[in-house]
Amino acid sequence: MAPGGFFGRALVVDVGDDAASAAPFELPERVLRAYLGGVGLGTWLLHRLAPPRVDPLAPEAPLAFVFSSLVGTPLTTSAKFAVVAKSPLTGLLTDALASSRFAIAGKLTGHDALVVRGRAARLSVLLIDGGEVRLEPAPELAGLPAAEAETALRQRFGRGWSTAAIGPAGERLVRYATLSHDGRHAGRGGLGAVLGAKNVKAVLVRSATRVAVADQPGVLAAAKDLRRRSFGPATAKYRELGTLANLLAFNAVSTLPTRNFTAATFDDAPKLAAEELHELRGVARNSCASCAIGCEHIYSRKDGGRQRMEYENVFALGPLCGVADPDDVFAASAKCDELGLDTISAGGTIAWAMECAERGLLDEPWLRFGDGAALLRALDAIGARSPGLGELLAQGSRHAAGVVGQGSLEFAPQVKGLELPGYEPRSLQSMALGLAVNARGADHNRSGAYEADLSGEVNRFDGGAEHVVAAVGTEDRAAVMDSMILCKFLRGVFEDPFGEWARLLSLVTGWAVDADELGATARRIVRAKRAFNQREGATATDDTLPPRLLTAPLELASGRQAALSGQRLQAMVDSYYVARGLDEEGRVREDDLPELLLDA
Amino acid sequence: MTEAGVVLAGGRSSRMGRPKADLPWHGSTFLYRTCAIVARIVDGPVVVVAAPGQALPAVPAGVTVVEDPVEGLGPMQGVAAGLAAVADRAAMAFVCSTDLPFLHPAYVRRVLRGLAASDADLVLPVARGFRQPLAAAYRTSLADLITKLIGEGDLRPGMLTKHCAVTQLDDAQLLADTALARFDPELESVVNVNTPEEYDQALARPAPEVTVERFGALAGKDGHRPRAGRAATLGEAAELAGLTLDRHIVAAVNGDQVTRDPLLPLAAGDVVAFLSADAGG
Repeated sequence: MAPGGFFGRALVVDVGDDAASAAPFELPERVLRAYLGGVGLGTWLLHRLAPPRVDPLAPEAPLAFVFSSLVGTPLTTSAKFAVVAKSPLTGLLTDALASSRFAIAGKLTGHDALVVRGRAARLSVLLIDGGEVRLEPAPELAGLPAAEAETALRQRFGRGWSTAAIGPAGERLVRYATLSHDGRHAGRGGLGAVLGAKNVKAVLVRSATRVAVADQPGVLAAAKDLRRRSFGPATAKYRELGTLANLLAFNAVSTLPTRNFTAATFDDAPKLAAEELHELRGVARNSCASCAIGCEHIYSRKDGGRQRMEYENVFALGPLCGVADPDDVFAASAKCDELGLDTISAGGTIAWAMECAERGLLDEPWLRFGDGAALLRALDAIGARSPGLGELLAQGSRHAAGVVGQGSLEFAPQVKGLELPGYEPRSLQSMALGLAVNARGADHNRSGAYEADLSGEVNRFDGGAEHVVAAVGTEDRAAVMDSMILCKFLRGVFEDPFGEWARLLSLVTGWAVDADELGATARRIVRAKRAFNQREGATATDDTLPPRLLTAPLELASGRQAALSGQRLQAMVDSYYVARGLDEEGRVREDDLPELLLDA
Repeated sequence: MTEAGVVLAGGRSSRMGRPKADLPWHGSTFLYRTCAIVARIVDGPVVVVAAPGQALPAVPAGVTVVEDPVEGLGPMQGVAAGLAAVADRAAMAFVCSTDLPFLHPAYVRRVLRGLAASDADLVLPVARGFRQPLAAAYRTSLADLITKLIGEGDLRPGMLTKHCAVTQLDDAQLLADTALARFDPELESVVNVNTPEEYDQALARPAPEVTVERFGALAGKDGHRPRAGRAATLGEAAELAGLTLDRHIVAAVNGDQVTRDPLLPLAAGDVVAFLSADAGG
């Protein structure tokens, strides 16, 4: 019998030319306990089901939707699902989380994970109803935004289904296309292209069963307590202004990447700030299912539409491209939503292209920093994969820099091929390490090391031993939250994170889990990710930052400079390897592989 | 080029009647303020040089204390000890005494930049009519030379100038720095306090004029727009902003280090940003 909250099995669906077949895939309890669910279990599944060195866009490359024991419980923020695959952007592991009802319905098909392989002969949708699967042709959905596809599928199949869909960019295999549900994106690493390569426009799931938790009264009491605490000061920022509250604050502390990381402050930041837009444009606030925080802030657009705005999309499509007009940034965000593009990678790739054009490395004289119309034109070209610029930029900044050459890789804003998020590494040096070593690439959700930099507890301009400790710690916490599945916006409410999470997990599963075990689980998940990347060809040379960030100092408003040398970063990376128990080349040691249960 | 700070805490303080390093100043001490002001500018270590056995009040996090190996040889012995303590980590250092309650960060920066821009070994300000060897910038490589001169019996602060390359900065040259001219036009950075009366006068002066900004959820109904007022420390600035520094709130002065130290000294013209400690998103 499976532990509470779990079914003890995944469903592996093989999509063929015109039909799909499915087979259960047993998930032993020791694997569930070792990986928890979400990105952890997804990593284990990729180890087991992805052929080594597989082309991420090949039919045999698996795409896994992964749930956890907490999904479907009343514990606030647990209605999320992880999507895990080998990334067409990085060639390494990628995982992304999205919310919300798809998670519950997907799990209640009776599976802890749904894995999709194969390729349909024509554009289709995949329906999973309990253990039954079927493939339905859907040529009429071609070119539709994911949200419109969801609406069309609701009309076609009825209201009982939850849908995860891709937009036109996913269909056209843009390497940073997203996969989305209900307006929320599993955004990073090109998961939409992986599904698009299977000729699957959408996956529909329907609840078919129920699952019991080990201690129902205990879970209810814990959920009530967690909900109460989630209204406190630790989540005030998300409730009141949302993540866009970062923008002006980051500008004030010289960590708002601007014009492709040539500056860390943006003079026009106030025009894009939540504090301003909330007054002028704020129209609604929304939350995921089973969430008490309600972080989504939806603004009115000049053209009469409405647009959800987050810090990362405003940073990437605003300051990073030098664009200051909020209507241009709103329009660009809406276009990314419609096309199904990761805003961070889209903004980063276009910012790189703008710099190339200004330096004369690209013959696109219209593409200039600060030009909102040019930004929108570039997004259209990417979404359409137009010959020339669109095709080039659809590959992401690293690949595009490989084509353009002429030193442009030096300023391509990426790590392992994934574009950098809105955290300036030179003025956040714990985060610099986190970005350099993370398995997913330049990533702020799997490494929240900026927490230490912005806490005042470390010298954020002088990375060293304590920054390594901070980076390892936040990476561990993220590994657990993303695997047992709790939203990281909740993290500030936990006084004793591992202890409290262990108690929640025990109530749901019936396992006697403690903080130490959960700490070991975190370390295992991080190692398993590295082991996957190692298998796919990653080496220590991938654990670095773009040369620009290691050579050009950053001028601060205080009159000082922030500089991060390659030597200093390498010293932190080396210390990270030691802290993680890796060998000198950052590899998981042979002796540690059995503990990863990759043969279970 | 890495810069260090050296703060001399020793000295007899005979006219004051008690150690000047210990004198209370807006919730902390003279020593704490001086160290923290210097630390705001330099990118390397800050050390305090104490007399042998001298008990010191608390110093800011990250500041270290070294003992002057020999007592009674005067301030140049302390300068040598301080420079020697940082020589392996910094090429130059701002050196000052602890009794400068109006020392402005812009002064520290101006003097250090003067040294960085010259081939001199020592940038010696001549401010308010006096040479200021204890508010000056030194190459840390001078430590050995100073020790040698002291060994030869020359203990005077001015002795060094005969044996190394010196650039002097007069008032006009100092005030060519726009920030210094704006925020410390009388060069009160070099005003030291020697008697109880002078100390009382210093304490009675109004706190410096600063600007506070609140961001994100802290902005509240009044919005994020800057607000001017007077505050001598970060804690006072938080009060000015209507905030209490706790684990959910951090601050940065002029976009520099993030901190929640309520005793962090402020200076005229500072812009203090308060933000949520949770930066996720």
